[in-house]
Amino acid sequence: MKKNLIALFALAALVACQSLKEEWQPVFTFDANEPGAYVPYTEETLPGFTGTFTSIKDLKGMYRSGKPLEVTGNVWIKGQVVSSDRTGNIYRELYIQDQTGGIDLKLGKSSLYSEYLLGQWVYVYCDGLTLGAYNGMPQLGLEADQTTTNEYETSYIDVQTIIDQHVFRGASASPVEPVTVTEADVQASISAGFKGELWGKLVTIKDLRYGNQIFALFYPNSNLPHTSANPENRVFLSDAGVWGINTWACSKAKYIEYVQSGVWDLAEVGSGATRYGPITGTPADYLKDGKTLDSFGSDAYLTYKEIMVKYANGNYVSHYFKLGNTDIQVRTSGFSRFADIQLDSRILNGSLVDITGILTIYNGAAQFSLVDDPSVSVTIH
Amino acid sequence: MIKRIILSFAALLGSVALFAQEPTGGVKGTVIDRNGRQPVEKARLVLMKGAAEIAEATSADDGTFLIPGLEDGMYTLVITAPDFLETQVQVTVNDGYVKNMFNLSLTAVQQVTELDDDAFAAFDLDDSGYNDNPTILFGSNDVFNNIAGYNFSAVRFNARGYASETQDVYLAGVKMNDAITGYSPFSLWSGLNEAMRSKETVNGVEVSDYGFGGYNGLTNIFGTASNVRKGLRGSLLTNSSLYRLRVMASYATGVMDNGWAFAANVSARLGGNDWIDGVYYRSFAYYLAADKVLNNANKLSFVFFGTPGQRGAQNASTQEVYDMMGDNMYNSNWGYQNGRVRNARVRKTHEPIAIFKYDFTPSDQFEASFTALYRFGKNGYTALDWYDAQDPRPDYYRNLPSYFMDVNPDMNRHNDLKWGWTKEVWTHAKDYPNLTHVDWDRLYNVNYNQEDGRSKYVQEERHVDQQDLNLALNFKARPTSRITLTGGINGRINRTEYFKTVADLLGGSYFMNIDNFAERDFAATPYKLQNDLDYYRIHGYAQKLSVGDKYGYDYYAQVRNIGGWLNGNFSFGNFSFSLGGRVGYESFWREGLVRKGLFPGLEENGSKVIVDGVTIEPTYDPDGSVTTSLGKSKTAGFLTYAGKLGLNYVIGGAMRVYANVGYFNEAPKFNQAFLSPRTRNTMIENLKPEKIFSADLNWQYSGNGINIRATGYYTTISDQSKVMSAYDDLQNAFSNFAISGIDERHMGVELGFKIPTYLVPNLSFQGVVALGEYVYTSNPRMTQTVDNSAEVVLSNAYLAYWKRTELLDGTVTQKHYVPSTPQTAVSLGLAYNYDYWFIDGDVEYFGRSYLDMSPLYRTDYAVAGLDNNITDEEIRYMTTQEQFAPAWLVNLSIGKSWYIDYKYQLGFSLNVKNLLNNRNVKTGGYEQTRMVDNTVSKERYYRFDSKYFYMAGTNYMLNLYFRF
Repeated sequence: MKKNLIALFALAALVACQSLKEEWQPVFTFDANEPGAYVPYTEETLPGFTGTFTSIKDLKGMYRSGKPLEVTGNVWIKGQVVSSDRTGNIYRELYIQDQTGGIDLKLGKSSLYSEYLLGQWVYVYCDGLTLGAYNGMPQLGLEADQTTTNEYETSYIDVQTIIDQHVFRGASASPVEPVTVTEADVQASISAGFKGELWGKLVTIKDLRYGNQIFALFYPNSNLPHTSANPENRVFLSDAGVWGINTWACSKAKYIEYVQSGVWDLAEVGSGATRYGPITGTPADYLKDGKTLDSFGSDAYLTYKEIMVKYANGNYVSHYFKLGNTDIQVRTSGFSRFADIQLDSRILNGSLVDITGILTIYNGAAQFSLVDDPSVSVTIH
Repeated sequence: MIKRIILSFAALLGSVALFAQEPTGGVKGTVIDRNGRQPVEKARLVLMKGAAEIAEATSADDGTFLIPGLEDGMYTLVITAPDFLETQVQVTVNDGYVKNMFNLSLTAVQQVTELDDDAFAAFDLDDSGYNDNPTILFGSNDVFNNIAGYNFSAVRFNARGYASETQDVYLAGVKMNDAITGYSPFSLWSGLNEAMRSKETVNGVEVSDYGFGGYNGLTNIFGTASNVRKGLRGSLLTNSSLYRLRVMASYATGVMDNGWAFAANVSARLGGNDWIDGVYYRSFAYYLAADKVLNNANKLSFVFFGTPGQRGAQNASTQEVYDMMGDNMYNSNWGYQNGRVRNARVRKTHEPIAIFKYDFTPSDQFEASFTALYRFGKNGYTALDWYDAQDPRPDYYRNLPSYFMDVNPDMNRHNDLKWGWTKEVWTHAKDYPNLTHVDWDRLYNVNYNQEDGRSKYVQEERHVDQQDLNLALNFKARPTSRITLTGGINGRINRTEYFKTVADLLGGSYFMNIDNFAERDFAATPYKLQNDLDYYRIHGYAQKLSVGDKYGYDYYAQVRNIGGWLNGNFSFGNFSFSLGGRVGYESFWREGLVRKGLFPGLEENGSKVIVDGVTIEPTYDPDGSVTTSLGKSKTAGFLTYAGKLGLNYVIGGAMRVYANVGYFNEAPKFNQAFLSPRTRNTMIENLKPEKIFSADLNWQYSGNGINIRATGYYTTISDQSKVMSAYDDLQNAFSNFAISGIDERHMGVELGFKIPTYLVPNLSFQGVVALGEYVYTSNPRMTQTVDNSAEVVLSNAYLAYWKRTELLDGTVTQKHYVPSTPQTAVSLGLAYNYDYWFIDGDVEYFGRSYLDMSPLYRTDYAVAGLDNNITDEEIRYMTTQEQFAPAWLVNLSIGKSWYIDYKYQLGFSLNVKNLLNNRNVKTGGYEQTRMVDNTVSKERYYRFDSKYFYMAGTNYMLNLYFRF
């Protein structure tokens, strides 16, 4: 009996140890080998690729104005990455270009620069994606949201598994050199509208001169409705001058500093033909519609200036530059790392500058987005 | 034998001292285990005459005892021993003879239980302030606690609804509750079951011999060498819900002829489990102890133990995720690295404890002990950290179908394609392991892509490293046969360092010591981004971090306590009462070790800080003082006091009725006192001590194999404080919510019983019933701040819907309950014991558990929404507290032991829990303190989905042991 029992327990112990061994193996409890580096796709390894690429120009050619196009069939494009969101001025979007043009891929992810390196080849399987325009700018994304308030022709791709099915990262390559363009080139693209060759491309424009004008739109309480139908929650700085703004944009801290400095005190609440009065007034002063006034709650008796400080956030600013007779806006995000960097005094004093960035179109006007810090992207003569 | 002689001799001497003419009567016998008929050593025998304690003895190694010097008369002998039910027998001493009781048998309290402290410690994993330790005082001799402690632990049952930190846990006479949080630190000795098995417990408001205690009982673990059961013991345990294997061995000499006693206990807990992927143990434990009995009056004890190891943690997810995964045990913390499972959140601890104890027992009428206990070492908890990179958590809300589709059009979410694909991913998780689990390979590759080697993702290790020195002096005196006095003084010096280090650069070369959140708002002001501004001032750039470097935050929590207590027990025949009090002073402060860029404060000499040639204007706290991150904060000090009264009436020897009442004034803890201790010294204004009133009334019967206890209790807790942190979407910033003035009321009844069926020999009917109502009774105030600024977002805001959901016309639709424990818990079962076999079967019911509430959702601000208009529908939606569905469980245990040559013992126990495989039992969770504000109507806010923890399905624990 004694031997049998001991044998039984010994067997049980062995079984327990065996079960441990089985369990132990897959459990990571100590340093393992680091994973291998990502293996880039080539034309040979692209899933389902049949050997023909459509040029970006031809892809854009499929678009019919005002109507988003869902691309169908075995349509592939390829291009090199020309944008980076490292500085935060470009956000959730990736620009690629080939010899025929550039396009905005609405990937919908942040920090794309960590996986899409400047110059890297990217292959896009367009079947199922949607080609659309945002204020005239070509974009390749996903079908638009089916919400009642949707204003866009496309939406961000967002979902990683959809990105994985459509966007393939290829080999790294040297960063693309910007193309130097002239006023005529810009005008030609503006004339071509959506199909303009320059939109979405990395370009350098030389001999720009500061236009002494800015464009900025603020929403005093960004949590409240702020569409064009809500002029009571809009403040434009656009009519003339620069409103004391000497930075490329304004972070939250800088925004508060501008508001409190008084340089925007004469800015009017409202938009279009609806103008209520300067931001030193209160919603209670301006709004007769009880429901609209109520939406401000207890803030209704604060001045708009105070409301702007209370709900402050980073805000974009567009500075106008002149290329001959053509206006070029340089639009900078308030969340970019160089938002609060001051424009060089020589720029403000009218020195000619060369600027490199991604050229886009916005409502028939050319707009620049700096990819890199102004110290790199802007050369002063 | 030697001990028996010593005890007898001591008793004899004591008697000689007390009485001029010595009575010759007495009681003797042998205490044995009812099942094994083996002697029970160290059983405590208390002889009562009515309610008066006449004498006390301890059984020797062979179970024998002798209580001499008794006058003729009727006595009650109360026998207690660790792991056995208390037994009382009537004794009559006649004609001056020593009455021989022969064998007095004890029934093991829970032969089936091998409840590992890990079952408790494993819950204490979340670092977000969410703590879900069950608080039942298991392992005691109380019939309710024994059954509930084992059967209810899986659902995180909290006795009487009290929070974990209210349960006092002592080790060798020193209170071990965490100095910063108050939590019971079971993990410090988990895996040392044999060494820590010997313990003594009191319930509710009762006073223990070892400490004054609070209102939720007190457990004292003896922990010294002579309290470890003599002999060599070993066990193998395999378990399907915690870890795969536990190997444990212990050896204790008992007190040897030379006065020494030695004990050792080692164990290893290894492997994963059947239910939660990514959770594993790789934990070890060691314990070494020695006692030296110098003479009858003096004993020295030395103990050193620790539990080095690591264990993977579980995470809570939303029901949406669980449903799509088809698994309520889904754990988002882990993913594959090179095909191997890796958990991002791993608790890594090694906090050794050294104890020196001196026992002084000059007579039977007086005993005293002095204990010095020192805890040190490290306590780390890893997590992913990232800078300027995508959120790596697989169940991040933007990765879920609900982010792309909601039937409520006001949520403005409708994209069929994205909804469909995210749904596809989560419902076919095995095909998308990189999307439904942490994608380690991707994290490494992102880091590989950084030309300068700067890691975007790292694994950080958050440290809470304590240096904790405790001193305690306790005594017990019986100046007369009617009076027993207990008391003590204690002191504590605790310095806990909070900091984090880089644990793994994940393929990169370095990480930067800057504040991600600050960079968003102050990108152009480099000094504000600095986690260590002084480093930046010296070097002109932020520190480049390597593995092991501290970063982020670094501060001391300094805590000092001193106190004393005294309790007197007075007996008059069958009636006795106790009266006691405690007074103390507790203080704490924060001491910042780095100067943070956002809150540089002033220089040591009081001048303003200058960075890059610019003078930095300081910011100010609400009380007008300069906001600082470096150096000492103000010191918060509190006089604490408490009083207890206990009444006890014995009826016929086996029955007693007793009642307790207590009032307590408790200092708030460090973790309840600072608005944002990671970033600054700012303390909550008007910090108040908690006030607790608690009373209970009990009826107990213990005799003839019957054990019953019935209790009614009533407790109010006032002026509690709480600080929690969460990302606030409305502020676009990491926010801190400081709540003060939380009041609770706990009342209910408890019943525990074990009764022979009388129908079948050796078959008992056993059960517990816990019916309570634990509710909030106040609407507290809340102050909200953000990490990025000294600005107060919400100042003393009224949480109008904290204690109940009340509509505009005053109709109350719901009271709000203290969360995370069933307020109805019932267990009924049968226990069979025969010939070393035992079989226990229980059916359990749990109901009226509630989810932990977010304070943000109980503000007018959140209910009103953007239009500042409150409707009944909005009140219901935003403020109603979720009640968990009730649950039925069935547990079964079986065991057998064999004695070989009357010398060795082999045995096994198999416990199978949740036989019905009920996988839908929520054991806890919390509301996310986040709101959806991007709506169409801009009229209201919506809640983020809540997160939950679930109980495992059918699980087993098989324990094989040998003893000799």
